[in-house]
Amino acid sequence: MYRKAFALMALLVVAGLVLTACAPQTVTVTVPVKETVPVPVEKTVVVPQERATVRLSGWAANPQETALLESLLYRFSLENPDIIVKYEPITGDYWQAIKTLVGAGEEPDIYYMDIFQFPFFAKEGVLLPLDDLMAATGTSRDAFIPDLINAFTYEGETYGIPKDFNTLALFFNKDLFDQAGLAYPTDDWTWDDLKAAAQQLSQPDKNIYGMGVPADPGRFPIFVFQNGGRIMTEDFSDTLLDSPEVAEAARFYTGFYFDKSGALPSDVGEGWQGTAFGKGNFAMVYEGGWLIPYLNQQFPDLKYGAVLPPKGPKGYGNLIFTVAYVISKNSKNPEAAWKVIEFLTNEASQTTVLESGFALPSRASLINNPYFESHPESAAIFQGANGATPFMWGLYGSDVNEKMGQALERIYLEGQDPEASFQQAAQELREIMGK
Amino acid sequence: MTTMARTMPRRDIFAFWDRIKMPLFYGVLILWTLISVFPFWVSVVYSLKPVANSYAPPYLWPIPFTLENYRTVLTQFELFPRWLLNSTVVAIAVMLIRTLFCAMGGYAFARLRFPGKDLLFTLTLFTMMVPGQVTLIPQFLIIGPGVIRNLTIAGVEIPTGFGLLNNLGALILPSIVDAFGLFMMTQFYKSIPTELEEAALVDGLGRFGIFFRIVLPISQTALLTLALFTFQGTWNSFMWPLIVLRSPENFTLPIGLQWFKGEYYTLYSIVLAGSIFNSLPIIIIFFLFQRYFIRSVAVTGLKEA
Amino acid sequence: MFSQAKRRKLSEWFTAYVFLAPWFFILFVFVLFSIGWAFYLSFTDYNLFSPPKWVGLSQYIRVLRDRDFLQRALPNTLQYVAVVVPIQTFISLIIAFALDQNIRFRRFFRTAFYVPSVTSSVVISLIFVWLFSKVGIINQIFHLKIDWLNSPTYALPTIMMVNIWSTIGTMMLIFLAALQDIPLTLYEAAQIDGANRFQILRYVTIPALRPAIFFVVTMGVIGCFQVFDQIYVMTAGGPLGSTTTIAYLIYKWAFGSTNIQMGRASAVAFILSLMILVVVLIQRRIIEREE
Repeated sequence: MYRKAFALMALLVVAGLVLTACAPQTVTVTVPVKETVPVPVEKTVVVPQERATVRLSGWAANPQETALLESLLYRFSLENPDIIVKYEPITGDYWQAIKTLVGAGEEPDIYYMDIFQFPFFAKEGVLLPLDDLMAATGTSRDAFIPDLINAFTYEGETYGIPKDFNTLALFFNKDLFDQAGLAYPTDDWTWDDLKAAAQQLSQPDKNIYGMGVPADPGRFPIFVFQNGGRIMTEDFSDTLLDSPEVAEAARFYTGFYFDKSGALPSDVGEGWQGTAFGKGNFAMVYEGGWLIPYLNQQFPDLKYGAVLPPKGPKGYGNLIFTVAYVISKNSKNPEAAWKVIEFLTNEASQTTVLESGFALPSRASLINNPYFESHPESAAIFQGANGATPFMWGLYGSDVNEKMGQALERIYLEGQDPEASFQQAAQELREIMGK
Repeated sequence: MTTMARTMPRRDIFAFWDRIKMPLFYGVLILWTLISVFPFWVSVVYSLKPVANSYAPPYLWPIPFTLENYRTVLTQFELFPRWLLNSTVVAIAVMLIRTLFCAMGGYAFARLRFPGKDLLFTLTLFTMMVPGQVTLIPQFLIIGPGVIRNLTIAGVEIPTGFGLLNNLGALILPSIVDAFGLFMMTQFYKSIPTELEEAALVDGLGRFGIFFRIVLPISQTALLTLALFTFQGTWNSFMWPLIVLRSPENFTLPIGLQWFKGEYYTLYSIVLAGSIFNSLPIIIIFFLFQRYFIRSVAVTGLKEA
Repeated sequence: MFSQAKRRKLSEWFTAYVFLAPWFFILFVFVLFSIGWAFYLSFTDYNLFSPPKWVGLSQYIRVLRDRDFLQRALPNTLQYVAVVVPIQTFISLIIAFALDQNIRFRRFFRTAFYVPSVTSSVVISLIFVWLFSKVGIINQIFHLKIDWLNSPTYALPTIMMVNIWSTIGTMMLIFLAALQDIPLTLYEAAQIDGANRFQILRYVTIPALRPAIFFVVTMGVIGCFQVFDQIYVMTAGGPLGSTTTIAYLIYKWAFGSTNIQMGRASAVAFILSLMILVVVLIQRRIIEREE
């Protein structure tokens, strides 16, 4: 009996291998980006004798993004036959791998650098300052969105060229708004509008909540900014988690949970609020552009929109998530490495990045690209960068995140008062920072 | 059971035990079967559902059914066959070499007398107690660029590392023998009787001869068990290959398949299809080996409890 | 000329060293150097990118005063070991006994029990997160409303269950191999001596299994003290540090932080190794004293 069962299973798998060609096409899973990039098939290139090799590593977010990068690198190789780019993706724990490689002096010439991790690498001097290389090829800092390029500047020197970025937008479920008879959110919304809408949208008995309010240090800080507060002091030497602005923001944010107009993703059985939004459990969530391809693939029928995060008592506030290309100080071919980075961040490449829909380009000049007119959600996220704060809390960033997340968890799980909870977080953080 | 034991005479306990024994065994076995197989079953089901249905019921049956996820795994990666080959080569090489070396070493620890044995055995156990996180970097330096760069003595450059980065050898060389396997084989050889070997020793067979002609053949079960563990451990190993391998064409299967796990979100149906591909070889190996795991019924019958 | 006995002794030494030669190579080239290097680092301030600075015992002192270590990692780890090791050993032994009987479908059962071991750890974590979610099947079956993995009370027990579930297949196989290799002559002799079945179990089977029990318990102790994978994937040490274990703390300080503390991570690693060593030696004494 069991033999038959296993034989059947084996047969299914074999059938999977054989029948793939004629399998019924239920959904299109992948976007074949490779085909969207026009590439000349044949081209005779004179290959010089001396060729410089440049290694490039990044995390492999998904196969489509990898394909996009590979197609850009292919174009680069046609224009620069004297440079060989070896793409070495790191598919697992990127930071453990890259820190090990840097520690052993074996890191690639070019690698991805998240703004959150940047302070430590900059302070330790393992990155190459790019200003001279930029000057040599006439690349100006002004060509990039100021907040992005400034984020990768340390003690007056540029260490990274932003490759793309994301901000948070208020995503909303159009059907749930229609059912509640509410007007869709606009860019002019305030905290009061948000609260009122969340309360009207919530139907806890049907497992539908107005807002997702996870204990997530990558979401909560925008409420602090909108309330005129900060997470860290200007020079990151001390935390401001115990300031009244933070406590008030926390009271407002966690209030959604306590009056049932909002919920944690785990309340509806999900690990990520993006899934809860896709399934219609949450009517509104604060998420970045990564939500868009996810919704298109997993929840193709969902009708949704995205606008700028509503303004708080002290106006607008948002977070910028950004990643840059950096060059290792150990690189033997810094000029060649720079050429690669320059190519990957030039206007043509950045337009390709934008049109692929995976991320937003870092070039300031692309603000009027026609893509934004047909994709208002992406436009909201692109515009979100104005007046936003990079997602970076200095050298102790991971500890700040941990303590901030725990402060919110204490409020949610143990019913602690927001003020006391964030005071405890600040105190524990100062202990770690050696204050 | 304890109250039974007090009220019933001994013979009746056995009679009672004989009556409930089989239903009890089958009950335990079936219950544990369900607990064991359920997650795997669910992952098979989900790998056969369309990506867009992965959050929709039914949860225990693949409706609607699709092979699209498997096709995605196979077609998205031109390198898939290459990864499969790399993983197979490494896992089989390590399995064969390590099983032999661990059997030899385990035999030495269990049977032979030599100076420093107890210390060496305790040291061997201790090496497993140090968490791998803190030895990762020195290991990397040794397999790759060397601990001291450009070490020259009397004008001769002395390499202090193996220079095996981005080479499958970096996965095989440090794995030819390990403390776990040595420990396992030592314990195994301690538990089997020495009569056969003593007889052979009297007959004038040397220690080498005894090991290869007598001991190895009778340790079939333990060797296959260790071989299975080794194959599986090597096949699934992740952090070390991630750091020492660079080019996608040198990746092993688990590292290549990790591509589907996104930074912010994951398309679970495809990840599950990939993981089924990853589990299949181990299941096959298990099937090939398993007929050796248990002696024939006639022999076993004697020791029913 | 050596005497016969002396020559035999020397030849035995020689054989032992030859048989252990591969292990000597690995031990001296890879293992001991790496452990020694890490041990040196535990006396330094080291962040991977700048050269280590000697600080004496201050990393150890710092660890022994650290809030996360004392209040979270240490008690969580000890609790984890105390619960998981006995349960996983006991269940796998029972199942191995059951499979060693003359029952039907043994192959099927054995394969089924080994399935958790071939299921990838990512998949295991995913599925258990799903099973134990607030609206998950476990809560539905038992009419509960517990958010297992997001509750400081239940998160660690849930991970314990996952670990027990996923390790039993392997341990069962080791016990089974050991049971299979008990020579039938021992059973025959006991039967001739008139031993009843409980006596056979007590005086034949259990003593013969002793080396296997020592092996399984030792590996269980080492594995549980170093538990990391499932915590990394399922809870990342949370909620509120309730699943932070010593091995997770090592990872956090060594790689997971924006401000790397490799020296401190090494110090904890050796405190952990010492704890494991003590437990294993005590355990060895208990198991071997019975002989």
